[in-house]
Amino acid sequence: MKGLTLAAAAFVLLVLGSALALRVYRGNKEFKVFLSAFAGAVLGYAVAFPLTPPDLGVLPAGWLEPAASVDFANGLLILALVFHGFWCIAYFACLSPSMSVMVELRARGADGISATEALAMQGREEPVNLIFQRRLPKLIAGGYITQEGGTYRLLPPGERVAALGAFLKRLINADTPLVGSRPC
Amino acid sequence: MLKGLVLAWALVWVWALVQGVVFQLRAPEKAFASMVSWFAPMPVVYVALHLLTPPDLGCLPERLLGGGAALSLLNGLAVLILLFLTGVLFYYHADRSITVRLLIEMARAPRQRMSLEEMQAVCGVEVLMHDRLHTMALNGFLEEHDGRYHLAPKGRIGGLAGTIARGVLAMKAL
Repeated sequence: MKGLTLAAAAFVLLVLGSALALRVYRGNKEFKVFLSAFAGAVLGYAVAFPLTPPDLGVLPAGWLEPAASVDFANGLLILALVFHGFWCIAYFACLSPSMSVMVELRARGADGISATEALAMQGREEPVNLIFQRRLPKLIAGGYITQEGGTYRLLPPGERVAALGAFLKRLINADTPLVGSRPC
Repeated sequence: MLKGLVLAWALVWVWALVQGVVFQLRAPEKAFASMVSWFAPMPVVYVALHLLTPPDLGCLPERLLGGGAALSLLNGLAVLILLFLTGVLFYYHADRSITVRLLIEMARAPRQRMSLEEMQAVCGVEVLMHDRLHTMALNGFLEEHDGRYHLAPKGRIGGLAGTIARGVLAMKAL
């Protein structure tokens, strides 16, 4: 229970820290903020665990785990799983086109939205959709693709990610052989 | 506590294997509902196994045992549910990632090259938004009347959660 309690405290600090850091962060690689916050939380947890008493001064005797290594690993596992959930939900809530539609509809009230208006929200009329404005520079900077003249070419790291992605899609039967048969 | 952790890991792997077979047999239109329904028996099986098996499961080292059985049961149950939710999120990583989809399409393109127009044709906003609007309506987040989409009760909760999250986390929305 000591591990769980410390993990809960570390997670609260992680959420507060990442929310504050995102307010001052000016780049577009938010994942670095989240990973840094997680690294800080893990470090804090690992340092606090051996330095604190087994009952943390408040836990009842019946709630204590006799094997410290199991207690430590359990807290770390739960911290990692909850962080992963927080990270995914944060990205979904803030960046997902689906969520953008729900947030926009909430602001519009009873007016609703047509498919054309939903498309316009994503910059359909612009030469480069918002979907690509955000992703292409990151893929180029990360060395996954390169721009040559008027086209983009896949590089070996991108090929490896594509192979892994295709394998995972086959596992869940969501693979699509060619263009247009299944949307992104 | 270790007994609960071991049972949770074992059962989540059983669920993952069963779910993988289910997806291979027939890709469900409502993936989340399918995952929830196939996972639903697992917490019951977990509790039964935790109550019926010996504390060391016949193989766990003595020095790692001890502690309250109720705490082990509850902790393992929480881990089982968290592992399931992580599995669900990994499903969506694989199924929904626009970036991964784009890289797969590039890998399959002639000479692994695509123009911006070709990318937008296969992974662009029109393809994406039509799919997302359809999926949200199918899953009860949106209702369509006279060619316009409106929030369903479930969508109102989603919209509120999104508004709050965007206010708190200050990330640049697409």
